[in-house]
Amino acid sequence: MPVEVILPKVDMDMESGTIEAWHVKEGDHVRQGDTIFEIGTNKAVMEVEAPATGAIRRIRAETGVAITVGTPVAWIYLDGEANDAPTGRSAPAARATDTAHMASPLAVAEVTPVAAPASAGLRATPLARRVARQNGIELTSVKGSGPRGRISESDVISALASRSGPKDRVPQDGPAGCSGQSATILREAAAQGTLKPFSAIRRIVASRLTESMRTAPHFYLTSEIEMSAARDLLSRLAVRHERLSAPKPSLTVLIARIVARVLRDHPLLNASAEGEATRLRETIDIGVAMERDGDLVVPVLRDASGMDMLAMTREFSRLRDGVGKRSLTPAELSGGSFSISNLGMYGVDSFTAIINPPQSAILAVGRTLDKPVGRDGQIVLRPIANFTLSSDHRIVDGVTAARFMADLREALECPEVLL
Amino acid sequence: MRSELIEPLVQLRELTYAEAAREALAQAMEADERVFLFGEDVGVYGGAFGVSGDLVHRFGKDRVIDTPISELGIAGAAVGAAITGMRPVLEIQFSDFVTLAMEQLVNQAAKIRFMFGGKASVPMVVRLPGGSGTGAAAQHSQSLEAWFAHVPGLKVLQPSTPYDAKGMLLAAIDDPNPVLIFEHKLLYKTRGHVPEEAYRVPIGQAAIRREGSDITIVGSSIMALKAQAAATRLAEEGISAEVIDLRSLRPIDFATIAESVRKTHRLMVVYEGVKTMGIGAEISAMIAESEVFDFLDAPIIRLGGADSPIPYNPVLEKAAVPQEDDIVAAAQNLVRRGGV
Repeated sequence: MPVEVILPKVDMDMESGTIEAWHVKEGDHVRQGDTIFEIGTNKAVMEVEAPATGAIRRIRAETGVAITVGTPVAWIYLDGEANDAPTGRSAPAARATDTAHMASPLAVAEVTPVAAPASAGLRATPLARRVARQNGIELTSVKGSGPRGRISESDVISALASRSGPKDRVPQDGPAGCSGQSATILREAAAQGTLKPFSAIRRIVASRLTESMRTAPHFYLTSEIEMSAARDLLSRLAVRHERLSAPKPSLTVLIARIVARVLRDHPLLNASAEGEATRLRETIDIGVAMERDGDLVVPVLRDASGMDMLAMTREFSRLRDGVGKRSLTPAELSGGSFSISNLGMYGVDSFTAIINPPQSAILAVGRTLDKPVGRDGQIVLRPIANFTLSSDHRIVDGVTAARFMADLREALECPEVLL
Repeated sequence: MRSELIEPLVQLRELTYAEAAREALAQAMEADERVFLFGEDVGVYGGAFGVSGDLVHRFGKDRVIDTPISELGIAGAAVGAAITGMRPVLEIQFSDFVTLAMEQLVNQAAKIRFMFGGKASVPMVVRLPGGSGTGAAAQHSQSLEAWFAHVPGLKVLQPSTPYDAKGMLLAAIDDPNPVLIFEHKLLYKTRGHVPEEAYRVPIGQAAIRREGSDITIVGSSIMALKAQAAATRLAEEGISAEVIDLRSLRPIDFATIAESVRKTHRLMVVYEGVKTMGIGAEISAMIAESEVFDFLDAPIIRLGGADSPIPYNPVLEKAAVPQEDDIVAAAQNLVRRGGV
């Protein structure tokens, strides 16, 4: 019997996933343990290994399309096994035809979702199929202009163009003075340029951050905080870490450490809005925004309030390496209770971040810059950084956030208060 | 100033295809005394299509040898001469007569180098005037190149221009393997630029005669010319055709075809030989089997010779092989309407 390759469940609450890339093609010989495809969940991208040794056949899952967990996506034929005709596919089609004869409209309605095998009779050129696959477009939704309805590349491109954009951007009726001709030009202009489908991570980022902006009413508080003490502390810690052969402590880790400590006294900033209730999180798990190949990922420093600087520096360093090597599990890339985004190293003075749902707040850190400040009646230069807190107003009020910022300032300017 | 720029262009030397081949023979014979010509009427008569011309007077009867009417004998003698160190160039008066020489070409010339572990080689060149269009009927008009392209150990060339006729013939004479050159009879009087020096056109490299983006048309010999003429007409109506002149059937330059189809997404193969089981089938299959398959946006089209002996009636003779109009119509259908 050929071995079924199913879309595996790689995360607790995963219901579906998309295949980001196949590493094998029809007929390839694979050994048990070889990577055969990459799966994208709504949190991360994982590699999936071959469950057996043999030839890959009947690949039936296209990349970029959401697939329910447990669905067979290919089979591995052990050596000597004949490549028999697929059995699974024709069955639902037969059922659909049978039930279609039944009089009850309910039965027909129930059957409708099973009608996917209609694509069996679909005509499309190899290039059209390829372009559709790359853009995550269902060929069943494309009208073919060729002989006997064959879909060519241009049909797929037309379908893509009409789906993504021109219709939204160009008003259908057009304002006065917008002639049909200029609408056409606009539409053509919109169709130009290269269409690059989202990566799995980009899809996640896009949908979650859009959801965040739509559902969480954001408000922002900014504080200028003097960083002399924090810098001083960092340089002293660096000596200790060097002696212990630990990675050099960074400002980001120090801020995460201090935020984790301060959050103990501010439970509403370590919480989630759930319907009409507030869920207070039991642990303080700090997500730190990182960049990987142009994508945003947020690995989590788990139970951060219980870690000292040494442990946190080591954990942060492990996560950062894991991001680069793509070796982190979905669990390590999700489940934070509060997030920090530091763009100071890029020279950003200050910015406002979008809350990473379902968290209630995110702290945006700008660069540290020597600025003139008044101290004891004198104007002196001090290293100053801007901290901007974005909060979800459903559960965090202005005063709640302000109190957190006051404690954060105190802890950063005088870390001794944490003792 | 202007005239200075234009003059060198005007002075480019032009030769006919037959003259270009003759020049190659002469230069090879001058450079290497092992090279000699061999065939029916290649001497005093100058060759059935005038390729050898006056060579018998320039090089003498010992090096330009008129043979009896026996293709088997000519080919066998050439194989023997080649094995013993000579560089014979023979002419099969009409390529159709090569059927009589099959044993020597296929079972001997192609095999010897391999069966003797490389201790012997067969550096011979066979020139074969072929193709239809001269009203010479079914036994004098065939295009049999695909037969030989099926045989490992042989090389099969089909030059389309006077430039290639000379350069490929010189490359063939240099080659240590048996090389068959199919020369289309209608090309002998075509003219083109041919440099005077003895240059070589590498065997196994196709030439892109025209660049295009909508369809790749692959042809060789006279079909490369018809495809270029068709491409010019197609361009007038907005269809951009890329024309690949195959030049060499074995070895075949698959990479150039694949790269082109990857770009144009459509492929038409045009050849005068009988369509069924011909070179079009081979090229189509190579593309269909390759990773370029995924870039096809229309069915692959073969335009080949009719499944029929070449008719004597000149109207039917023309209808039996692909013509410029056929290429234009098929390309229009493929690009505009997606083909069949």
